[in-house]
Amino acid sequence: MKQTQFVKSNSQSWNEFKALCELAESESLPVYFPNMYRKVCNDLAIARSRQYSPVLIEQINRLVQYGQKRLYLSRSNQFSEIWHVARTAFPRALYENRIMLGINLLAFWGLALIAFIWVMLDPDAVYTFLGQSTVLQIEEMYNPGGSVQTAERGAAQDLMMFGVYIYNNIGIAFQMFAGGVLFCVGAAFFLLFNSFYFGAIAAHIVNIGFEGPFFSFVITHGSFELTAIIIASAAGCQIGYALLNPGHFTRGYAIKQAAQKALPLIVGAFLMLVLAAFIEAFWSPRDIANEIKYSVGSACWAFVLYRLYKGMRYGA
Amino acid sequence: MLNHGLENREYVKLPEGVDIAITPAGVVSRSYAYIIDFLFRSLIMFVVSLVFSLLGDAGQGIILIIYFITSWGYNIFFEMKNGQTPGKKRLKIRVVQDNGLPASFSQIVVRNLLRPADMLPIGYFLGLVVMMFNSRFKRIGDWAAGTMVIYDDEVEARPELPKGNIEIPVLSLSTEEQLAVLAFAERSDELSDARRSELAAILAEPFKLETSEAQSMLVGYARFYSGQLSNSNEQAQSETVQ
Repeated sequence: MKQTQFVKSNSQSWNEFKALCELAESESLPVYFPNMYRKVCNDLAIARSRQYSPVLIEQINRLVQYGQKRLYLSRSNQFSEIWHVARTAFPRALYENRIMLGINLLAFWGLALIAFIWVMLDPDAVYTFLGQSTVLQIEEMYNPGGSVQTAERGAAQDLMMFGVYIYNNIGIAFQMFAGGVLFCVGAAFFLLFNSFYFGAIAAHIVNIGFEGPFFSFVITHGSFELTAIIIASAAGCQIGYALLNPGHFTRGYAIKQAAQKALPLIVGAFLMLVLAAFIEAFWSPRDIANEIKYSVGSACWAFVLYRLYKGMRYGA
Repeated sequence: MLNHGLENREYVKLPEGVDIAITPAGVVSRSYAYIIDFLFRSLIMFVVSLVFSLLGDAGQGIILIIYFITSWGYNIFFEMKNGQTPGKKRLKIRVVQDNGLPASFSQIVVRNLLRPADMLPIGYFLGLVVMMFNSRFKRIGDWAAGTMVIYDDEVEARPELPKGNIEIPVLSLSTEEQLAVLAFAERSDELSDARRSELAAILAEPFKLETSEAQSMLVGYARFYSGQLSNSNEQAQSETVQ
């Protein structure tokens, strides 16, 4: 068939098709739309194989693009998806990534324990890990005499600290996720650094006898915060590991798969960190009896550990 | 598979059995888009800091929260609607899935959360290196999300050739060869005389044209291929075009 003949016999149906593609997304399409779409795809193949003019091929190419977009309209999902992720996708992802998660949990708590014991046995070692000014600053913060906790803190300061925690902690979690892509190095570095830091400081605080204000402060939000940081690191490592060991897939495909698998983890970690920041800013600095703080903190730990166990064991 | 040596295009296979051609956006246009977005974001931050710094400590907290939201959420918020941030809209590029369909929410989140990896060690260096080693110009975030950035359809339209004589080719050419003739006609104004006649001599060879008339004949052919039809010779065309 000559090109002009081809155009003449098809242009009406092409125009019709184009008009349908331009319908608003809310309007439903006629039942014969998929047939029309396949017909246009067919026309494109014909035009190509008969070496018709590039301009005509371009026009039909564009029609196919419009039709594809209209036919395979992605769900208008967006932010409401977050709730679905928190309820079902997150626990399932805990199960699917349980090995990587287990490694990260062990690495964090293992190294923290090593640092803790080390500084307990050799109190001066803390100065080799942290600068003197950092140690002094921390000592001042948890000093039972004039500590942050007992001082009356206004709502304005609470809000400021909330901003700091959101910006800092969630930023770090996201950076760990991204850093994990580089063959796990970025995530592992941040995780191990934080675990060692945490272990050394906890031991130092015990050494100087400030454990009351310290543990009553960190126990409640620590449950969500530390676990979320570990989860974020595991999510990053999952992607990095896919690059290191793609199995029988290409690396391009393996990284795509791993990212989809790890995404609910980082969304879950994000929600946990928002909650942790809220607790840390508005609950932890309150001047309440330590017994109440320890019991609330223990309840939070029990909840987090129970959900983590259920997620990693049963995906629920 | 089509030969796509002449144009910077990628062919995506559809389940319907055909390939569609799309044009991936390269480093330069994406950098421009990034700079525009960066300026826009800085402007938002400047205004926010100006307003909330009046509120003391509470204002500091709000500034940090808004700063967090703009630095991580800006791209996600704009791209999840139609794949375009204001900068990308300006440059007429958009984010799509590997198969050319609009990207989903989760893909947008992944490609934007992985930005810090692309930024390493400084100024998107790693992202640039990764982009230059694949024909779809995907950075690390694009690989993980299964997305790419392409030019919008309007940009892909060929420039209109000036009206003039339409010549009907005596030979039938493949699409690729027709494309070469078209590209010659579109760019002939930008070329020097010597270069133009040199190129015309190459293209004119199969047509057995005289060197003197080669240029004008080729432009005439290009008009024909670009679909400039006049009623008087429509009849003749249907005889010659195969």
